[in-house]
Amino acid sequence: MQIDTASFFEALADEMNAHPDTFRVLGEGDMVAALVMRRASGDWAVRLCFEGLRCEGASEVAADEAHLADFYLDGPFEAWQAMFADICEHGSASGRQTINSLALLSTDIRLRGDDPMGVDKFSRFNQTLQEYLDGAARIAVVAG
Amino acid sequence: MSITDKAAAEYDYEHLPATSPIGAPLDWKWLRGAKSEWGVHPKPGPRGLTMLDIAVGSYGDVPDNPPHRSMAPRGADVDPDTPDMGYILNKKSDVWAENVRELYEEAVARQWSATRDIPWTELPELSNDLEHAMCQVCTTLTEVEMIAADLPAKWMWRMNHDFIEAKMFLCTQIMDEARHAEVFRKRALANGGGLLMSRGQSEGLLRTILEAKTYHQATALMHLLGEGFILDIFRMGELISPSPVEKRMFRMAMQDEARHVAYGTMHIRYAIDKDPDIAEEIHEALDHGEVVLTQFGTNQDFGSALAVLLAGGVEHVEDKGFPLQMELQKKQFTSYLARCERAGISRLHRTKLPLELLGIDPDTVLAN
Repeated sequence: MQIDTASFFEALADEMNAHPDTFRVLGEGDMVAALVMRRASGDWAVRLCFEGLRCEGASEVAADEAHLADFYLDGPFEAWQAMFADICEHGSASGRQTINSLALLSTDIRLRGDDPMGVDKFSRFNQTLQEYLDGAARIAVVAG
Repeated sequence: MSITDKAAAEYDYEHLPATSPIGAPLDWKWLRGAKSEWGVHPKPGPRGLTMLDIAVGSYGDVPDNPPHRSMAPRGADVDPDTPDMGYILNKKSDVWAENVRELYEEAVARQWSATRDIPWTELPELSNDLEHAMCQVCTTLTEVEMIAADLPAKWMWRMNHDFIEAKMFLCTQIMDEARHAEVFRKRALANGGGLLMSRGQSEGLLRTILEAKTYHQATALMHLLGEGFILDIFRMGELISPSPVEKRMFRMAMQDEARHVAYGTMHIRYAIDKDPDIAEEIHEALDHGEVVLTQFGTNQDFGSALAVLLAGGVEHVEDKGFPLQMELQKKQFTSYLARCERAGISRLHRTKLPLELLGIDPDTVLAN
């Protein structure tokens, strides 16, 4: 899986938008999140816009614009790879590979943002974001 | 346009009876002459008709100083002889937050059930130390969670009814906290354990919050300080959970708690923006609250039970549990101090939290 591409996150958005019942249980969520992957070849970032039960946008942004989101999750590419590999292996994030645990420990991926109220949206809508990321397991199966 | 003009012009209401069939007098004012705004026609959005959608025209205007002190709905044509309900929080800045309508809708949309949405049948048998530790944590959480229901309940009936959205949000908070008390109590009992120790430190913190003299002080102590700290404990929940049951329980509670913190932070921000003089009143409450919270945090039962769960058992409580707990406490303190900044009440150089003990430099807290 090539995780540092907009098309990967668009596929996750399509997966979310195709299964509103999965997200209805969690309730509507409105947030703008950014994920930053630090790579030797240059940093890469994606901006994710969630509205209601949908992910309405997944687009590549410059890493130094990530702070414009409500919050952003910032870590080395390898940490993101490990997280998605765990999701694909277990069907959803397991153990300390959930996005909340990773951000809480901050050893690899850090939760950041300019506004503490924006940062707290990470907690308010955490399970919506996790379920969105867990979609990687399903699209990996579809991709074969 | 008021209904009076249009009704009088277009409809014939002149021949309506003056009394009801049992002889009670009728005046038909609601049909002929109410002064309320008519025809605002809010439009539902993709998720339905929200409180934000109906905040239109005069119905969206929340007065800074409401003229009435009754339970009449804001925007209604209120009789001048409507009784005074004895409200004492009659300024918008007493209770309002700019995000309160949004938070209410969010709360309604994200309700969950401690009975149905936790996979109780998947509880595995745990070692004796882990089961005891989880039961101790759940005992303390069951004890402290209901303060965030009791406290709004204590103040809500004193809030002017024109601030209905703030009261509605606090109702959702009360329901959330009932569910938290429910889920932690259920977990304590569900796996063959039970409720363990309750001690004075918890009660001291709860009493401090409940007895706050003003609502500003109460919300600072509860939403900003108390719930802010509990939010970080819930975030920690995934790390301390031995099974998917506890993980789910903490994840769901975390989302609720973050809403409460968001209200409190933005309420204090709003209140201080409108009246900077109240900042000192809030500081004084937090000066005391932080000391009591530190005593609660060093509670010999709750703290050690958390450390055992973080360590995966008593065997590694010293080399793994306590060090990890210290790291997570640093996060609790820095998150709280950052929220205080956002609320417009800088505690960086006034806080009574033991920052030095945890190696926190207040000048770098905001460096993110």
